Amino acid sequence: MKRRDFLRNSTAVLGGGFMGLSLPSALWAQETPVSGGTLIWGHSETTQNLDMHQTGTASSGRVLQNIHSSIVTVDKDLNVIPGLCESFEVAPDGLSYTFKLRPNVKFHNGAVMTSADVKYSFERCKDPATGAVNFEVFNNVAAIETPDDLTVVIKMSAVNAPFLSRLSENGAGVIMPVDSGPTQGTNPMGAGPFKFVSYEVGTVVKMARHDEYWEGPAFLDAVEAREITEPTTRLTGLRTGELHMINDIPLDRVGELQGDATLQVKTWFPLNFDFINMNHTFEPFQNPKVRVAFDMIIDKEALMQGALWGQGATTPSPSFPTSAAYNKDLKQRAQDIEGAKAMLAEAGYPEGSLNIVFKATTNYPYHIETAQILVEWFKMAGVNLTIEQLTWADWLSQCWVDKDYQMTMMNFFSLWESDFLYYSVWNSEGAFNYRAIKDPVIDELTAKARVTVDDAERAKIYQAVQKQIWDESHDIILWFRNGTIGAQPAVMGLDTVVHPNGSNLNFHKVWLKA
Amino acid sequence: MKRFLTTKGLIGIVLLLIIAAVAIIGPMVIPPDAATAMDMTARRAPPSMRHLFGTDQLGRDMMFRVILGARTSLEIAVSAVVMSIALGLPLGLISGYFGGFVDNVLMRLVDTLLAFPALLLALTISAVLGPNIQNTIIAIGVAFTPYLARIIRGEALRVAQMPYVEAARASGTTDGMIMIRHVLPNILPAVIVQGTISLAFAILAEAGLSFLGLGTQPPAASWGLMIQASRDQLDIAPWTAVVPGLAVALTVLGLNMFGDVLRDILDPRSK
Amino acid sequence: MTYVLNRLLSVILTLFLITLVTFAVTNILPGDVAMMIMGTQSNPEALEGLRESLGLNDPLLMQYGHWVWGMFTGEWGNSLIFKKPIAELLLQKAVASGIIVVMSMVIALALAVPLGVWAAVHRDKWQDTVSSSASLLGVSLPDFFWGIVMILVFARWLGWFPSSGFVEPSEDPLGTLQRAFLPSLALGLGLMAHLTRMTRSTMTGILSQEFIRVARAKGLAERTVIWRYALANAIGPVITIAGLQIGYLFGSIIVMESLFGYTGMGWLTYQALLNRDLPLIQSTVFVIAAVVMVTNLLVDLLYVVIDPRIRLG
Repeated sequence: MKRRDFLRNSTAVLGGGFMGLSLPSALWAQETPVSGGTLIWGHSETTQNLDMHQTGTASSGRVLQNIHSSIVTVDKDLNVIPGLCESFEVAPDGLSYTFKLRPNVKFHNGAVMTSADVKYSFERCKDPATGAVNFEVFNNVAAIETPDDLTVVIKMSAVNAPFLSRLSENGAGVIMPVDSGPTQGTNPMGAGPFKFVSYEVGTVVKMARHDEYWEGPAFLDAVEAREITEPTTRLTGLRTGELHMINDIPLDRVGELQGDATLQVKTWFPLNFDFINMNHTFEPFQNPKVRVAFDMIIDKEALMQGALWGQGATTPSPSFPTSAAYNKDLKQRAQDIEGAKAMLAEAGYPEGSLNIVFKATTNYPYHIETAQILVEWFKMAGVNLTIEQLTWADWLSQCWVDKDYQMTMMNFFSLWESDFLYYSVWNSEGAFNYRAIKDPVIDELTAKARVTVDDAERAKIYQAVQKQIWDESHDIILWFRNGTIGAQPAVMGLDTVVHPNGSNLNFHKVWLKA
Repeated sequence: MKRFLTTKGLIGIVLLLIIAAVAIIGPMVIPPDAATAMDMTARRAPPSMRHLFGTDQLGRDMMFRVILGARTSLEIAVSAVVMSIALGLPLGLISGYFGGFVDNVLMRLVDTLLAFPALLLALTISAVLGPNIQNTIIAIGVAFTPYLARIIRGEALRVAQMPYVEAARASGTTDGMIMIRHVLPNILPAVIVQGTISLAFAILAEAGLSFLGLGTQPPAASWGLMIQASRDQLDIAPWTAVVPGLAVALTVLGLNMFGDVLRDILDPRSK
Repeated sequence: MTYVLNRLLSVILTLFLITLVTFAVTNILPGDVAMMIMGTQSNPEALEGLRESLGLNDPLLMQYGHWVWGMFTGEWGNSLIFKKPIAELLLQKAVASGIIVVMSMVIALALAVPLGVWAAVHRDKWQDTVSSSASLLGVSLPDFFWGIVMILVFARWLGWFPSSGFVEPSEDPLGTLQRAFLPSLALGLGLMAHLTRMTRSTMTGILSQEFIRVARAKGLAERTVIWRYALANAIGPVITIAGLQIGYLFGSIIVMESLFGYTGMGWLTYQALLNRDLPLIQSTVFVIAAVVMVTNLLVDLLYVVIDPRIRLG
């Protein structure tokens, strides 16, 4: 089977929800890994803050994930599984969690991990003075008890069903040695497979193998994450052999690289979902007819082919495609320009009367392409759309914080636990409800899910939430976008690199063929 | 008129005439939609009979884009230079004519602005005001002002010491009158020369700002924006960079050549 | 001497004005660093906490005082986004940029002086046209355009140079120079045009002077006349003009360094601006402005030394 066909096949099943790898990794499964070598990785983004707790950006997390280990993590199906703990137990009332820690886990400084380190790390993350990005994960934590060196008991003041899942995400669940907080920003230290060596701002982060890693030492002697933000330059580096591996191949170049027999390409799904946002405080968008009509103007498949060059799959629901919460009955509205025109006229906005500014951030170049394609369709429907490109700082301040926009688009990681996703993004009280959506049906459903213990029942509630979002066209959910990696043929174990969350890269099992 | 007829002057004038004609006539002949109309079946199509200059990453015709983009690019450049003259002329004139304390204060101000690289200044202004065509004009216009003010001040200083100005002053003509009647006409040639050369820089500055995402907004066409979009595809679709690059190069070349000849004629000292 | 003193005083006054302008402008920039750190994970409560802990809520006058006083006493503070001491960051990145500024200047002069001399000697002949066309071409395309072309030709197709990045000179001095070469060449081409024209016009002026005629009359070889006598007199003004281009270079490195992933001052300034790291923007912009001012001052003083006829106030 040709690589191309393989991709097509895997994309076909993506809709059903599978991880899609365009790499025939089984071929290499027989080869015996060898130790040694330094992997040069062309990283697409700039690492900013080395303190795992204070890091909100995926870019820093992608590197630091190799330095830290988490108390719990997730498997391929996103089930929470033990990490630095041997086992965990949730009390039937949901008010206490007991973690049994692995014995003899060594930090990079040689110290053995104990319950005191866990208590220290969680309390540091919870403390507002730390400035931790995920501090709210610990909001309901009343006390952290350490009955012995290998047992941690967390007492909650209220039931918080998503607690464990949140610990498995970036940041909140990592364990740092006691009192290492003040130096985490300059010399990050944890129990991960690689030790921090050095960091030149904007240039490179160097890491070396941690020989006493609890899951066994990594094969690579060292990893060098060179920061190359310019996509073409990164691609050139890979082609000239300066780099062993790059992440984030420009979407338009994936096909070209897949056709190149001298390089490996790996795509996976989904990296994130994208959606178009309409500000619900903007008068025309208070009318659901206008929102539905806007949805009808867009041909999602054509838009995906246009903006992502086919590197994704359209979806009407933002839930992780393999999760129980994903509503399989929903279908995206088909493009119907005439119908949209009629509906807009009915809503009191005849042709030519709507002038809308679409704010798109240059942080995601494919958002700019998306917007340019939209302009054409909206023109056909008699809506005048103008684009304003915003830097990331401007987008965050105007759209995210000040809600000063009419239309925009954004992407989020699909991994998010359902409660976190639907409550924060669509509940009227949600922290990420930057569209000012106020839907009593969603409010009621998301509140109900929080206190529903039965998993199947909760999944049903979230499916109802997705239907409500679609019915009212609160946002226009577009697609899941693929993640991409390109590598030299000598890089082995590429299928282990991507963490199930689709964003982090872990080099523990990667090796270089001589 | 004869002195324009050097090879250099002729080439410069012809280039500028062609570009001006394209910028003015183009939008009359080509429907405005032609620059943004997409053809998803012909993305990054190389030059052919159907698309003479090829197409870009969204299947838009490069020939229509470069022609319609001429207007945007030139509009921004001309408006920005006019603005910098409007700001820099009074500043330089007053400073150079009066000298002394006024000159000191104004020139410290100009020095302060001059210490910031022009692109950095334009970048910051654009970041503060937000990106759109008007703000791009303001950003470039303000960033260029100190340079013009400096040059105009030098000229005004020279002219203010001329015997005819002394004479006018002695005859009791007011300072304002002297500046308008005697100083201004004599520094005008230098302003025109500097303005022509600044135009070339303004076109490059618009390209630079668009390159960083702070200039003209898509899907509108401007040369800078087109070059910006081409940087990720130069190796596989070189025409997307060559076409707007050539347009910028020819315009700047024309302006520089014309400016040189203009300088030789209007400003004989530089010979 | 009073001239020098006057110039020094005005430089100090201007530096003070620069701090005011920089501080004022950076504070009207929309958005803040707390948002940038938290990204789309932020919520109002968390943002407020982070702002407080970063000192963003202090009164503006106090922040300004802190900053200026800190610059005086050497306490430059920390970058909010990179969590590193600003002084350390600046020093490291200034070295990186210093390398390309010097290298591009050397490249520009190495090309411009011979071209300019050649054009002046063969004034109004075909050599003159070739020289001025070549230099015009350099300045007619944006320098980032040259940058893109160079990555493509020298890194991608020919593979002679690494396509991007920066290595510490202490680690691999040759690698540092290799990586600095392409951005320097791209910058140098733009600069060259200006310097070629300057060299040509200065040389033309000198070649028509009396002492050259005398030298020729004495039967000195034409080569000696041009290179030993004429150029020796022309080089001063040319270097002066070159020095004045430092400001232009510091503007251009912002785009060029971003393009080549060459992480120097330009890159740092742009990152600071994009991330709204105000203390870092203020310090980088101040340092760049100060470097430009001081170079201009040195060039002016040099000019006075070279050409004693100039005594402008």
